[in-house]
Amino acid sequence: MKLTICHSTRYQYAEPASRSTQYLRLTPRSNRHQQILAWQLTLPAPASQSVDAFGNITHLMTLDAPHDSIELVAEGVVETRPNGWDDDASRLNPLVFLRPTPLTAVVPVISTLAHEVAGQAGTVQERLTVLSQEVLARMPYTPGVTDAATTAASALTLGAGVCQDHTQVFIAACRSLGYPARYVSGYLLSGAVDHAASHAWAEVYADGGWLAFDISNQCTPDDHHLKLAVGLDYLDACPVRGMRRGGAGETMHAHAAVEQHDN
Amino acid sequence: MHALTLPHSSHYDEMLLSSGAVRPHYQGFAEWLQAQTPETLSRKREEANQRFHRVGITFSVYGDESGAERLIPFDTIPRILPASEWRALEAGMRQRVKALNAFLHDIYHDHEIIKAGIIPAEQVFTNAQYQPAMQGVDLPDQIYAHITGVDIIRHADGHYYVLEDNLRVPSGVSYMLENRKMMMRLFPELFARHAVGMVDQYPALLLSTLRQASRVENPTVVVLTPGHYNSAYFEHAFLAQQMGVELVEGRDLFVRDDRVYMRTTAGHKPVDVIYRRIDDAFLDPLAFRPDSMLGVPGLLSAYRQGNVILANAIGTGVADDKSIYPYVPDMIRFYLGEEPLLNNVPTWQCRKTEDLQYVLEHLDELVVKEVHGAGGYGMLIGPVASAEEKQLFRDKLATDPAGYIAQPTLCLSSCPTFVEAGIAPRHLDLRPFVLSSGKDITMVPGGLTRVALKAGSLVVNSSQGGGTKDTWVLED
Repeated sequence: MKLTICHSTRYQYAEPASRSTQYLRLTPRSNRHQQILAWQLTLPAPASQSVDAFGNITHLMTLDAPHDSIELVAEGVVETRPNGWDDDASRLNPLVFLRPTPLTAVVPVISTLAHEVAGQAGTVQERLTVLSQEVLARMPYTPGVTDAATTAASALTLGAGVCQDHTQVFIAACRSLGYPARYVSGYLLSGAVDHAASHAWAEVYADGGWLAFDISNQCTPDDHHLKLAVGLDYLDACPVRGMRRGGAGETMHAHAAVEQHDN
Repeated sequence: MHALTLPHSSHYDEMLLSSGAVRPHYQGFAEWLQAQTPETLSRKREEANQRFHRVGITFSVYGDESGAERLIPFDTIPRILPASEWRALEAGMRQRVKALNAFLHDIYHDHEIIKAGIIPAEQVFTNAQYQPAMQGVDLPDQIYAHITGVDIIRHADGHYYVLEDNLRVPSGVSYMLENRKMMMRLFPELFARHAVGMVDQYPALLLSTLRQASRVENPTVVVLTPGHYNSAYFEHAFLAQQMGVELVEGRDLFVRDDRVYMRTTAGHKPVDVIYRRIDDAFLDPLAFRPDSMLGVPGLLSAYRQGNVILANAIGTGVADDKSIYPYVPDMIRFYLGEEPLLNNVPTWQCRKTEDLQYVLEHLDELVVKEVHGAGGYGMLIGPVASAEEKQLFRDKLATDPAGYIAQPTLCLSSCPTFVEAGIAPRHLDLRPFVLSSGKDITMVPGGLTRVALKAGSLVVNSSQGGGTKDTWVLED
């Protein structure tokens, strides 16, 4: 399927920021699942491109003149296929993805949930699908109750969250069962509300390959999904991670649109 | 005459036999000591204290609510090593540090030692100190630990053992240098009577090591400190001043176009080598701990691009982790094809069922340590622990066996030390500082000798009441 993506992020400051530094993971890479046909970043300053240890294409951008807003636009055209997820752009050992992080710390409430489904019959795929169902059942999709700093443990305790929370609870649970699991950030052609176009899901390493789970949508990622970056948690894979000096009173507005390309 | 308590025969004393006979390499010092009156020596010790206060060599203790700075007690009886023993130690440390650097390069590249089945993969890749961000990063000359502090003790059998390798941000070298300066000032005549190996070239050697770490022709070196609240701030400032380089905090640096710059009164200046005294987790808030105010946003990216050198490299902690320590002799065999020259302490890894079983059965004899602990905290010394303390560790071992290792209780050697009641044996260790560059591995003869000032205590950490001594390596 051919998808067009337009993702803009705008930061506005009530008082000017004197310096901002941002890591951007806004450029997807081509692999067996997705072929990047065209991609362009429009940024307020030059950015240096590199590849991080997870294999993500990253840009580092520094604004060192006073500024009261930052606008980032990523847009392009990508050909996706329903499969081909078993792709690893990094040379990391999969066991690295067993590591807990502050956002995905395994606490009793998570390991208990994990072990409830661990005993079930079936293949790994089947059992983890049950786990995915269980995660969503315990924390229905609820925008606005969690934020970027919410840990998996507190989201699960809260019993609500968005794709980021579902994914982090799911990967923490997988790790507690001994399955390396990673966070994927990307885009989704949902056909519905546009806030879901910027999306997150999980990949789990089992039987020598990576399996993908979209917990929020209870599906296996397919050609509606476009992978942007992977990491141990949201912070490793999120599209924009930045710091600034000054710039009090930040407001952020992000808009992502994914459409099926017609031609 | 000095009131002298003789060492017990159960451990090795650096100076005396339990009969009171003086070891040959301490002969000259013992004669000198005999000739001094207790009053003179007491006056000299007082002078030392005053001078140290004036210089400002103090440290603050973590967890001390008052935030009070304390003076690390300095003892004026030196710890003396004969030349032959130092030569053996030096060769052993050189070999060890070479293997540790090879290990670090390997686990961040092709993982050969894991493929060879020598170290289990999960021991490395799930280790909290393993930094995935370092995978595939090529460092000049494959040097990860430019500065290593090797903690060495001498057991009752008279042999030296490496207790641990410090490959992250080893501290204490300023005490080595200041202790020597103090001894030369207090007792110049002692240095006329003994040929003591020099240590004062350490800052120059360190600077040369840091400069060689860079591919840049005439690199700009800085010392990065977390700031004056850090317990080792004195040392950061001291080393920067001795090397003649800038002492900076994170906020003095910034990254643009994958290059690190320092703000100066004359504008922005590129930085090529950062001797960082900040832990990995705080280096770049955009890559590691997001709440860190100590680091430099974007530093990891500049580093991965090879545009700046960090000394030590990111991710060295995995090689000095207590869970990896038992494998160091195997690393030496694997990477260098040599037999280890220095002893490792036999170690039980509680993650292994049979080892855990043994540890639980022999808790009275063993020292149990947290795998990720440091500073002498979080450990159980079986032979002196109370029943409650032992029960606490039984519980800890039951809930998190992989978090602990155990070792036999080593009886650290002692050295006569000034105490309230005169001169008495106190236990000590030794931390030499090993500098690695592509060209060679160097160290000054000596190191930091830490001494446990409480009678019978085996804990030498300054945060727990330890003091220091000057360390002499005699020349042939």
